[in-house]
Amino acid sequence: MKDELSAIGYRRLPTPRTTRWSPWPIARTALVLAFRRRAAKLAAAVCGFVVFAHALTLAGQVLIGRASERGSFGDDFAFTMLEYVTGQVHGTLSTFLGVQLHTTAILLGVVAGGLIAEDRRTRAFELYFSRPLSTLDYALGKGLVALLLPTVTVFVPFFGLWLLAVGIAPDDLATELWQLLLPGLLGAAICTVLLATTILGASALGDRGRTVGVAYVLALAALGGFADAMAHAGHAWAGYFGPLRDVQTIADALLRGGAPGLLAATLDVRAATNDSAWLSGLALAVMATGGLAALTIQLRRAVRG
Amino acid sequence: MRENLLDLCSLAPLVSLQRVGKRFGGFVALRGIDCEIEGRAIGLLGPNGAGKTTLMRVLLGLLAPDDGVATVLGIDVVRHPEQVRARIGYAMEGPDRIGGLSGLESVAYAGELCGLRRRAAVLRAHEILDLVGLDDARMRPVEEYSTGMHQRVKLAMALVHDPELLLLDEPTSGLDPESREDLLDLIARLRDGVGPAVILSTHLLHDVERTCDHVVIMHEGTVRFCGPKAALQAESGTQFDVRGDGELAGFTQALAQAGATVGPGRHPESVVVTLAAGHDVRTIWWAADVGHLRLFHLEPRALSLEEAFLAAVRSDVDAAGARP
Repeated sequence: MKDELSAIGYRRLPTPRTTRWSPWPIARTALVLAFRRRAAKLAAAVCGFVVFAHALTLAGQVLIGRASERGSFGDDFAFTMLEYVTGQVHGTLSTFLGVQLHTTAILLGVVAGGLIAEDRRTRAFELYFSRPLSTLDYALGKGLVALLLPTVTVFVPFFGLWLLAVGIAPDDLATELWQLLLPGLLGAAICTVLLATTILGASALGDRGRTVGVAYVLALAALGGFADAMAHAGHAWAGYFGPLRDVQTIADALLRGGAPGLLAATLDVRAATNDSAWLSGLALAVMATGGLAALTIQLRRAVRG
Repeated sequence: MRENLLDLCSLAPLVSLQRVGKRFGGFVALRGIDCEIEGRAIGLLGPNGAGKTTLMRVLLGLLAPDDGVATVLGIDVVRHPEQVRARIGYAMEGPDRIGGLSGLESVAYAGELCGLRRRAAVLRAHEILDLVGLDDARMRPVEEYSTGMHQRVKLAMALVHDPELLLLDEPTSGLDPESREDLLDLIARLRDGVGPAVILSTHLLHDVERTCDHVVIMHEGTVRFCGPKAALQAESGTQFDVRGDGELAGFTQALAQAGATVGPGRHPESVVVTLAAGHDVRTIWWAADVGHLRLFHLEPRALSLEEAFLAAVRSDVDAAGARP
């Protein structure tokens, strides 16, 4: 058979062409790129460990409750002591939201810090906006990543933990937990939205992903430290500047607080709380709005520029 | 159906600009541009700061003009910018990239953003990368690419969705001579085949001379010429290589009065006379008579693109015949 050399010519594509939803390729590509990095996988593993640890704690708490009902502990004093150490289910669910906010913030710093910052650094805006893509499509695509991650690490695991608790809890506890589903999911949703909007705003302001990621985590820690220190010194108003305190306050209010247990207190994984859940909610709304405003202003500048 | 669309497109101008103006604060980037751009390969020429990139951004719908109406392929760029961008491809100047992606991933991604399905985008990306000559390197991250490879990837990203019009902003910038010739060959092949029409924005006259049949010359925010390259060279004046006996001073002075210029010719004893638009060889005979010069050699020669460009840029009128 004789080899034939064909000229590589330009081929026209068939028409008509369907329009597809552009934000999804943007989100998918950003996620794939981010998770090629080892740091992202490590941060995701830490989030997974937090879920696992809380699942174990919840299971322990429920099983202790069941054992107490059967009289396994002999007297109430032993059960009360055990409950004091391990805490209550409500407290654990509420603590989960606060702790996972920390770890998800680190994950977002690694994965989503460069969502918009890297596009600015590599001048990718021109590549995006020379396509049939609106600013909204671009923002939605990046927003999907910022929303998806806390949804997977906070919202869905919260529901999973609640399901686990309800599934193995005795009837009276299960009835109580059913009433906490929607408030709990609301608390998880607030966490998710706060994290997504603030990381988007931070990424929109920065011009290097790594810098944005580090600055984001440090800023959350610094705000939290400032809020704790000032609140401890008697300036309760300063407590509302700490996002973690605000989230914990709302989570406790929605999930009816409950004792988190000596174990959680010893490990110091739980943030202190503010006095007013409404004010905490307002503070979080301001932070989220600030993030969205930064995103909107920077994207408009990028398109015009 | 594609051929019918092409026929329709071939009837309408590629770009139509009606009194298009754009200001940035006190700075006027585009001043009342009025022209229609047609052809298969158009060179958008002008010095730095002429307004070429601003015009391209207006055509892409990224900047709304302050005055006038701009249409691309018959579509208003202000009302339907996304429809315009779906039908044009743009390769901008500079090392823009989406960090972390390989050449293949970048081109496939660009295809997806323009509406191709994932699988179709990947297959099309391979095809286009074969066309632009990026072989094994397509699997490597674009951060590792040379300037020439980068330009090929950007061209591929602009072509992947089969646009009807390709806008190239300084595509040969930073390339070595061999890579530059390869890229210009590719543009010429696109022009001669079934590829899209091309608008090549550059300040390098050689690139336009090599690949384009139409030119648009911009200077200080105005369009000084818009039309076929041959017409530019004819319109900008005619040149003659002249040799004669006698004093040149009177001859030169008479020509200057008629708006012509005199410069050194190829031959040591010859001069090149560039006549202004509207004058012909009789002006030279008249000037020779006035200046008492006996002519024994008079040979017409074609104006180079550079000379025509300089004449257009130095002219007092824009393409619409108005003084800018």
